[in-house]
Amino acid sequence: MMEELLQELKKKIVEELDLKDINPNELADDTLFFDGGLGLDSVDLMVLVALVDRDYGVEIFNRELGKEVFITLSTLAEYIAKHRKKN
Amino acid sequence: MDRQWFNQYEKHVPHSIPYPEIPIHHFLLDTVAKRPDDIAISFNEIHIPYKELNARVNLLADALQKAGVEKGDRVALLLVNSPVYVVSFFAVMKIGAVVVNLGVGVLGEELVRCLNGSDAKVMVTMDLFAPSLYKVIKNTGVKTVILYSVMGLEKKLSIEEGAPQPQLYQDILAAARNTEEPAVKVSHRDIAVLQYTSGSTGTPKAATLTHYNLVASVLQTDQWIGIENAGNAAVICVIPFFHVFGLSACCLLSVLRGYRMILIPRVDLMDILSLIKTIETYRPISFPAVPSLWGAILSLPPETARNQLFSIQVATSGGAPLPSWIHERFENLTGRKMMEAYGLSEASSATHFTPYPSGGPKGSIGVPLPDTEARIMDLETGERECAVGEIGELVVKGPQVMQGYWRNEDLTSAALRHGWFYTGDLARMDQDGFFYIMDRKDDLIISSGYNIYPNQIEDILEKHPKIREAAVIGVPDRIKGQAIFAVIVLREGMQADKEEFLKYCKENMPDYRVPKTILIRDAIPRNPAGKILKRVLRQDAQVV
Repeated sequence: MMEELLQELKKKIVEELDLKDINPNELADDTLFFDGGLGLDSVDLMVLVALVDRDYGVEIFNRELGKEVFITLSTLAEYIAKHRKKN
Repeated sequence: MDRQWFNQYEKHVPHSIPYPEIPIHHFLLDTVAKRPDDIAISFNEIHIPYKELNARVNLLADALQKAGVEKGDRVALLLVNSPVYVVSFFAVMKIGAVVVNLGVGVLGEELVRCLNGSDAKVMVTMDLFAPSLYKVIKNTGVKTVILYSVMGLEKKLSIEEGAPQPQLYQDILAAARNTEEPAVKVSHRDIAVLQYTSGSTGTPKAATLTHYNLVASVLQTDQWIGIENAGNAAVICVIPFFHVFGLSACCLLSVLRGYRMILIPRVDLMDILSLIKTIETYRPISFPAVPSLWGAILSLPPETARNQLFSIQVATSGGAPLPSWIHERFENLTGRKMMEAYGLSEASSATHFTPYPSGGPKGSIGVPLPDTEARIMDLETGERECAVGEIGELVVKGPQVMQGYWRNEDLTSAALRHGWFYTGDLARMDQDGFFYIMDRKDDLIISSGYNIYPNQIEDILEKHPKIREAAVIGVPDRIKGQAIFAVIVLREGMQADKEEFLKYCKENMPDYRVPKTILIRDAIPRNPAGKILKRVLRQDAQVV
């Protein structure tokens, strides 16, 4: 299940953020969102928040939670798996 | 000249405004006199009433004077949106000194050029920016650094011999006792702000803005919106005050009207997440933002987005062209039009707005504000006014337009001709007086509302030991307007992957300038004269 969710997330993130250079199948599970990983900025982050809310019904609307969740693809997937309201 | 645009003015908007001959801090004094207990600033859990804000301003003004700051001296601010920004700004205004308004992404050599160019001796900043400041401070004339400590980083600061010891803002305010108004006579004609902006050559230049320019700019926007009696309504201040749009439309307009500024500092990436809860908590009347931020908010599920947006009567977008899908989604969700603004550092903020509340045609930046003239001039000479619908360079004139570029007569005379400011933007005007931006004369990239010149990135890339040459363009991006695309050529015998260069970029330039895509090629395409063929680069970008 987690593996499936991770693959789905990778594909959605690459599509939503239009990351032309990146093949979602080659993304490691522990890829960092920031700090030398995908190199996202604050607008990208808001787009991710919107994606997670829209597609999984998971709201991440404060900075403390964001710091815990938006570390790597795995940390995000784990949080979604625990809190998702949409399948 | 026909001013067809007057036909588009809403009934509440005058064609001309009587601008009072006052310095900008009189906005604060007037509000303090009328509504001293209304909240001026909400910042996390801190809420500061106007009378308290004014007292803090006076304490810092006194401290600055005791530190030797005199009328006309330049005081650099390197600050995010925070109470310390607002206090420092008005303190500098009240003693007749000049704010050097610096973006917090300004680093290294660029920072040195801004500080030396403005001849700033005093700087107010935060401990978060101190490590990068202290790497270069010895190359500048800064003698006094006032540091607002957020995380206590000043304790770990490496200070070279001869560099000024930072003084803590908190200590200065705690020790200060004088809350009297400073006894300095400040005229509306005095210089208030040096607004740094990147030039097409990459050399920073400062628009010189007087108190009158700022007063005019704020009143023009205020009259355009025309909302009366909104009391202590909340305004979301997420656009940095170091940007003229943030300073004028968020900070100064709020102070004029006695609104509550909800400050969103954006010190780190995660700060943006608090925006959504903040909107929910304060139900703001006004929310000025750049298109990319609107795009991100409007990407939320419709119910969430609607819930966020229903209180916002004045939704303004500026800093970059607004994609039509954002317009449409906002209107579908709220039933209201989003207002689009066009402006420049050189014009204190806006010169054009779409009519409020009725909106303007798709793709239009609206019409000139009261007392603002705008023309489209031919590209060859800049002397012939274009016909309706013809594309040329947008030139503007009005009480908000700068005096010139600080200590740069050549640039000033090239940009300001017979009182008209040549914007560098290619535009057209339709028969109803609406203006449309079509392109830039130069290669400016606008990404997430930031103005970026390719050479600001190319120069840094070419300093990498493995890179022989680099070329940078902007490519369309749904959310950010434009994304940065870089093509590099490696030095002979060198091997590297793109990740190495991306990491290098992240270490050497602000986030918003880091290329989204880097392509390694054998050569940069050039024409026989050696000029980079950006058209070919754009084709490469499409293939990627």
